[in-house]
Amino acid sequence: MSRRPLRRVSTVMVSLAAVALVAAACSSTPTAKKKADKTAASSTTTSTAPAPTTTAAPAPSTTAPAAAHTATTTPAKPTSTACSTSGGPLSATCDTQSPSFKLAGAGANSIQPFFTRVFYYYNQADKGVSVNYSPAGSSVGVTDIEQNTVNFGDSEIPIKTPASGTGGNILQVPVDLGGVALSYNLPGVGGGLKLDGPTLAGIYLGKITTWNNAAIAALNPGTNLPSTTIVPVRRADSSGPGYDLDQYLIDTGGSQWTGSVAGSAASTKWPITNIGIGEQLNTGVAGFIQQTAGAIGYVEYAYSLQAGFTNAALKNAAGSFVKPSQSAIAAAGAQASTLSASNFNIVNGPGAATYPLANFSWTLIYQKQSNTTQGIVAGKLFDWVTTTGQQQAAALGYSPLPANVVSLAHRTLLTLENSAGKALFTS
Amino acid sequence: MSTTLLEEVPPPRLTPVEGVKEGLQRRWARPGGRAYAVLRWSGATVFAVIVLGLVVSLLASASQAFGHSGLSFLWSGTYNATKDVYPTGIYIIGTLVTTAVAIIVAVPIGVGTAAFLSELAPTWLAAPLSVLIDLIAAVPSIVVGLWGLLVLSPAFAHHVEPFLKKIPVLEWFFHGLAYGPSMLLAGTVLAVMILPTIVALSRTALSSVATEDREAARALGATRWQVVRTAVIPSARTGIEAAVILAMGRALGETIAVALVIGNNNALPHSLLAPGATLGSAIINNFGEANPGLDKSSIIGLVVVLLAITALVNVGGQLLLRRRLRGQGAVT
Repeated sequence: MSRRPLRRVSTVMVSLAAVALVAAACSSTPTAKKKADKTAASSTTTSTAPAPTTTAAPAPSTTAPAAAHTATTTPAKPTSTACSTSGGPLSATCDTQSPSFKLAGAGANSIQPFFTRVFYYYNQADKGVSVNYSPAGSSVGVTDIEQNTVNFGDSEIPIKTPASGTGGNILQVPVDLGGVALSYNLPGVGGGLKLDGPTLAGIYLGKITTWNNAAIAALNPGTNLPSTTIVPVRRADSSGPGYDLDQYLIDTGGSQWTGSVAGSAASTKWPITNIGIGEQLNTGVAGFIQQTAGAIGYVEYAYSLQAGFTNAALKNAAGSFVKPSQSAIAAAGAQASTLSASNFNIVNGPGAATYPLANFSWTLIYQKQSNTTQGIVAGKLFDWVTTTGQQQAAALGYSPLPANVVSLAHRTLLTLENSAGKALFTS
Repeated sequence: MSTTLLEEVPPPRLTPVEGVKEGLQRRWARPGGRAYAVLRWSGATVFAVIVLGLVVSLLASASQAFGHSGLSFLWSGTYNATKDVYPTGIYIIGTLVTTAVAIIVAVPIGVGTAAFLSELAPTWLAAPLSVLIDLIAAVPSIVVGLWGLLVLSPAFAHHVEPFLKKIPVLEWFFHGLAYGPSMLLAGTVLAVMILPTIVALSRTALSSVATEDREAARALGATRWQVVRTAVIPSARTGIEAAVILAMGRALGETIAVALVIGNNNALPHSLLAPGATLGSAIINNFGEANPGLDKSSIIGLVVVLLAITALVNVGGQLLLRRRLRGQGAVT
C-alpha cells in the first residue's frame, strides 16, 4: 500500500524530467557552440601529458574574457579599426588590436617550452587572444589538423607536400629552430663525450653494451671510461627527435643501421623497438636519464638544457665533434638557404661548427579559414611568433630563425584565405 | 562444523509484498507505468546496441590486419608501412605476466586488509582506513603511472630489484639488469590500482558472513586468527574470487600507467626485471600516430585481442563462480 504514492511521485518526476529535457534541447541551440568550444578547450588541457615545469613563464591563461565567446558566435567582422580591410597588413603594428579568440592547438612535444613562453607573452600583450596547446607529439598534431579537430597543429617534421586534410590545403609555417641532444648519465664523466654515427648505431642496436667499449674509447682517448652497462633510451611514441637521429644514423651509421629493420627512409617511429627502454615524450626520456646511471637517450635540447644533462659531442659532416648549443644549432639552421616544407632536412648539414641534429618545427594550419576571426588571429599570432617571439628562443635552448626562414613564414601566412577564397591579409 | 549447526535452522521465507502483483497487472493500463516500461526497455536496448556496435565496428576496422596475416596475427602480429612489427604474441605474454604479478602482489595484501577491516579493526580506525583505500580507486591512472615512474622506479632500481636478485630461488625470476622500468614495476603499479577493488569487494563478502559462523568457531576454542582463517574466509570465498576476477579485468586493460613504467620493449622478457610491453601499452604508444590503412588496422587488431582476453577472463570467471555457487546450493 505504501508503495503506491511513491510510484506516483516517481512517474511525475520522470515526466517532469522529460519536459525539462525537451525544453533544454530547444533552448540550448544558441549556446551549443559555446559549450562545444569549452569542451574542446578542456579536453586539450587534460590531455596535457607529463608536463615539464617551465622555469620562468607560467602557463598561458586559459580564462578568456566573455567577449571572446561573443566574438566566436558572431564572426566575420574584426573589431579592429586600424586593420579595417579584412585582416589588414600582416605586420606587428596590428598585434594588440586583433580581435579576441581562443585558439586550440596540438602537436610536437619538443616545441612546448617555446610555445608556452611565446603564447604567454602574446597573451600579456593582447589579453583577448589565448592559446591552448596540447603537447601530445608531432604525429598527434598532424592527425589532429588533418581531421580538422584543432585550429592549428605543430610537427617537427612537415607533412609530405602537397599537404591537405578534411579542411582543404594545409599551410606549413616554420616557427622555431631546435636541436636534439644525446644526453647521458655517467657519473665521473663530464659533458662532451665524443660519439659518431657507427658508435651510436651500435649502442641503439644493442651491439655496444658497456661504456668502456673499444669503439667509444677510441673516440675519447684520455677519458677514464667506467665499465657501466649502457642503457639506451628511446621514445616509445613517434617523435621528431627520433626522426632526426634516425636520419643521422642512416647518413652516418653505416650498413649495420640501414641493413637492419631501420631501412633507408627516416621514420618518426623509432625503428629498433626490442633494445633498451622506451619512454613517453621528451619528459619521460629525460626523467629516465636523470634516474639511471649508464643511460643515454635523445631529447630535445631545450629539455636537456633545463635538466642540466651532460651531452655528447657528435661528429658532423665536416668531421669535427660538436656539442649541442644555441650557436651550433643556429649554424645548422643557417645552412637552410632553400628551406621549404618539401626540402626541410637539415640533419648532418655542412660546416665545421654545425651541430648535426637540428630541425625546424612546423606549424600546420588550413589555408582556407572558415572562421575569419580565427584566421586573422592565428595569422597575426604566428607572424609575431616568427618575428618578435623569436627573442624568447635563446633562453630556452632554441635558436632564432634565420632571416630567410622568417620571410618564408611571412610569405606562407600571407596566403591565408577566408571561406570565400579571399586573402585575409595584405602584405 | 559450523554449517551443520546452521542446517537445523530453516531459512526465513520471503513473503510477497502486498500490492506488487496487482501493480504488475495494471502497469499497461496506467500512462506512468507505460512510460516507465518504455524507459526501462529502451535503456536495456541501448546497452545491447552499444556493446554490439562496439564489437562489430572494431572487427570491421581490424579486418584488414586479420586478412593480411590470418591467425598468425595472434603471435607475430603484422607489418606496417615502415616495416615495423607489432609482435602480438609478446604483448599477450606481457599482459598476462604483468596481470599475474599484480594479482600475486595485490591479493594477499587486499584480502588481508579486508579481513583486518571487517574482523579486527575498531570502528574508529576501520572507517577512515576504508575511505583512504577508496580514495586510491579515485586516483586517475595517469597519476598512479607518474608516481610509479618518478617515485617507485628509482626505488625499485636502487633498492627493491637488487635485493630480489640476491634471493637464492627467486633469482630465476629476477635476474639481469635492474634499472627500474620492468614487468615487475608494471605489475606492482597495477597491484596498487586494483587493490581498492579487491579490498572493497572482499570486505563486503567477509562482513556478510553470518555471525553464527564466527560464534560457532569461537565456541570451539578458535583464536581470533583461526576464526578468520577457518570460518570467515572459507565462507566468503566466492565473493573474494569475484573481487579478484573484477580486479583482473582492470589490470588486463590498463594502458597509460603501464606504458609509463614498463619500459616499452618489444622483446620477449627473460626476467621480471626486464622491460616489456603489454597490449594496452602498445595500443596507447602507437595508436595516436598510426598511419591509415594496415598500420591502424593492426592496432585495432590489438584492441580486439585485448577485448577478447578481458571478455574471456570475465565470462570464464563468472561461469566458475556460478558453478561454485550452484555446488554450494546443493550442499546446504
